[in-house]
Amino acid sequence: MSEHGAKPRRPLEGVRILDLTWLQVGPQATRLLATFGAQVIRIEWREHKAIDFIRYVPPFAPDHATAEGGRSQGVTRGRGIRGNYNRSAYFNNTNPGKYGITLNLNHPKGRDLLRRMVRDANAICENFSPGQMDKWGLGYEDLRKTNPRIIYMQTTGLGKAGVYRDYVSYGPTAQALSGLTFLSGLPEPRPPAGWGYSYLDHSPGYFGAIMLMAAIRRQRLEGSGCYIDMSQSETGLMLSGTSTLEHQLTGKPTARCGNRMPYRDWSPHGAYRCSGEDHWIAISIQSDDQWRALVEEMDKPAWALDARFATAASREQHEDDLDAKLTAYTIGCDRYQLMNRLQARGIPAGVVQKAPDRFDRDPQLKARGYFVDLPQSDIGTWPVEGFPAKLSRSPADVGGLTHRAAPKLGEDNELVFGELVGLSMAEIATLREEGVI
Amino acid sequence: MSAGNLSDSLAGFTILEIGEQPGDYAALLLAGLGAEVIKIEPREGTESRRIGPFVSESRDREESLFFWRYNLNKKSAVLDADAPSSASTLAALASRADIVLLSGEYETVRRRLPLWQKLAAENPRLIVCTITPFGLDGPYRELKTTDLVQMALGGIMAVCGYDPDKEHKYDTPPIAPAMWHSFHLGGEYAAIAIMAAINFRELTGEGQLIDVSVHEAVNTCTEIAIPTYIYSGQVVMRQTARHAATIITHARLTESADGVYMLASISPFVREQRALTELADQLGIAHVLGTAEFTQLDKDDAGAAALYRNDILVQIIAGLKADDLFHRAQSLGLAWSPIRRPEDNLNDPHFAARHTFAEIEHPEMGRTLRYPGTVASDGHDPHFSYTRRAPRLGEHTEEILRRAGVTQREKNL
Repeated sequence: MSEHGAKPRRPLEGVRILDLTWLQVGPQATRLLATFGAQVIRIEWREHKAIDFIRYVPPFAPDHATAEGGRSQGVTRGRGIRGNYNRSAYFNNTNPGKYGITLNLNHPKGRDLLRRMVRDANAICENFSPGQMDKWGLGYEDLRKTNPRIIYMQTTGLGKAGVYRDYVSYGPTAQALSGLTFLSGLPEPRPPAGWGYSYLDHSPGYFGAIMLMAAIRRQRLEGSGCYIDMSQSETGLMLSGTSTLEHQLTGKPTARCGNRMPYRDWSPHGAYRCSGEDHWIAISIQSDDQWRALVEEMDKPAWALDARFATAASREQHEDDLDAKLTAYTIGCDRYQLMNRLQARGIPAGVVQKAPDRFDRDPQLKARGYFVDLPQSDIGTWPVEGFPAKLSRSPADVGGLTHRAAPKLGEDNELVFGELVGLSMAEIATLREEGVI
Repeated sequence: MSAGNLSDSLAGFTILEIGEQPGDYAALLLAGLGAEVIKIEPREGTESRRIGPFVSESRDREESLFFWRYNLNKKSAVLDADAPSSASTLAALASRADIVLLSGEYETVRRRLPLWQKLAAENPRLIVCTITPFGLDGPYRELKTTDLVQMALGGIMAVCGYDPDKEHKYDTPPIAPAMWHSFHLGGEYAAIAIMAAINFRELTGEGQLIDVSVHEAVNTCTEIAIPTYIYSGQVVMRQTARHAATIITHARLTESADGVYMLASISPFVREQRALTELADQLGIAHVLGTAEFTQLDKDDAGAAALYRNDILVQIIAGLKADDLFHRAQSLGLAWSPIRRPEDNLNDPHFAARHTFAEIEHPEMGRTLRYPGTVASDGHDPHFSYTRRAPRLGEHTEEILRRAGVTQREKNL
């Protein structure tokens, strides 16, 4: 407890995570553990082909951004400053609160060093292709001999066990297989719209954090280890709602329904165009009362008083026509003004917000302090996305133990190899010369 | 079960769940790890029982597939959470509970919270977690929302949908990509925060109040949209089944011989070029891939070479059925997949081998249904375990009231 000026305690204090994950699917889980006070040590290798892809995809911090500055120096499109892997926006947002070291696992001394670190670690996470760690002699069965208490989490597209264990996959591959891509979009014959990003690179982060914290608690209490073979496609199935159940009962193939709501008597229900370029508002009418309130707000146009639109069931029957007529109204409205007017009448309505709307305007995110400013050692202070809950006694802190955004490549080599592993400066220098760190 | 399996890792934990959809999902996840979840329902049943699809036209509250899916392993006790007469029973339950989940509209949760804060003062180990549309404070806290509205305000809709035209104008709306997804996100983050609070309690003996905002949960999940804007001032554009980006990327949805869209692409990597050549040869498609002529084209005009490769790719996909294509491409190291319906996986041998689907008996129907039941395996068994169908309304009222020390006579009063 933090009384009498003592340092506030964090849920995962004293927990050390070796983080061999890269891209997006693995680092999300370890980001959440860092948020709750785990010492997350991100292990990378500096060879060009091995560098985390998202370190060198745009956008980058503007070229003029410096360690002492940051966003306050102004925003422009940065080139990344060629060959510099420490300026990526997305990497910085994905890896705050983590320590960063370099370690060459293709070198026998690198693998020895990792085994040595495993001795004192609580968990190790990786998302290499299935079998890569085994090839290095660093799979779960190997590492548990070094540390029987180790928690080992591996994330792959399909899972390490099973018929397709050798199949290759990116997030979108797993997502397509799982059914999640199919579910998104307007009804057939339109193709699926899919997701505008790789959702199955996010979802395992959430499940991973839940499972790791369950395993850490038990490890603390009982000293037991744990092996977690997470499958991205299974996380997709977990989120596929009721479609597999409905299919078993009716035999009918799952159908997409756009933004409509086939499972409640809610109509109209969709995104409607407003004035302005690509401006939309989502409206969900949940009852006839709300419908009547909407009609009032529109000043009772004749079409809206048509008996076809009087009840939810009837509105659903004529939903194409209803949507067209409602759009003819919304298209003349400013999106936020319309949202406020509808909300004032108790109608669920919200602007389809884009990034500038959320970052610059959204008063709720501002009031809750959702975006968190954190420094990065080269590009200065930038906002990162926060944690979506307030905890009264052990607050989430995306800056973790480092109080920083993402680490530069190998930024903490001396700290980790020196203070934590216990190597001398001379030993560290030698390892560096030998291409081990 | 192997050592380290997590499906009993929360054994001994009791969760009281009061409220609506995001709470359903959060508690489902914790129930899969072994926690006992007691759903406190009003006499008419929770809102979730009114969400379809239903088993039959009657829309009976015992036949909501939504309720079934999100309430496996749980117990149901009928008790009016808002009635003063329930206070002593709730107090008795709270004194032995570990976690209380309160979800729903702000106004409802705000009204219920003081009782639970008082009970938490009496049982300081109690973790009270609220899940509301916007959190317990801030100017939007009272706004009316649905899943769709949260997906709009939270930013996911703006990055999902179909390609614009050549002038980058859209004639299709942004799309909410999966139903109930804002509740999934809110529920997942609630479970994460609860796991953190449980670990904190092991260290300190203290419970706490957790205030989850579904709006913020949705906001965490738009990938590159926010960093792109913060660092460069640019806004990403939604595009069909591809990442939203600041430029419109190459379209890539193609139908297989049996009319299934494939997720398939070819990168410039040599390994993938070879695999494409191999597939074209297997199908007897005439091509110049791998010839000196094509190598020269690639050097002189990479764009033209990419178009040519794409043409071959389309012919390959159109020439095979989806599953055949999937396995052939994968055997050559290509990360391709058919865009399946979720149910296409029910009989897939891979998921059968991993026990991905939990077999749940429904004695009232005299049959077993398979539910997506885990996201990970310990190498042998799933880390999440679901064994019991969702409870019927009040199925466990007697058991729970007895545990709270309420006698039959008091109940009848």
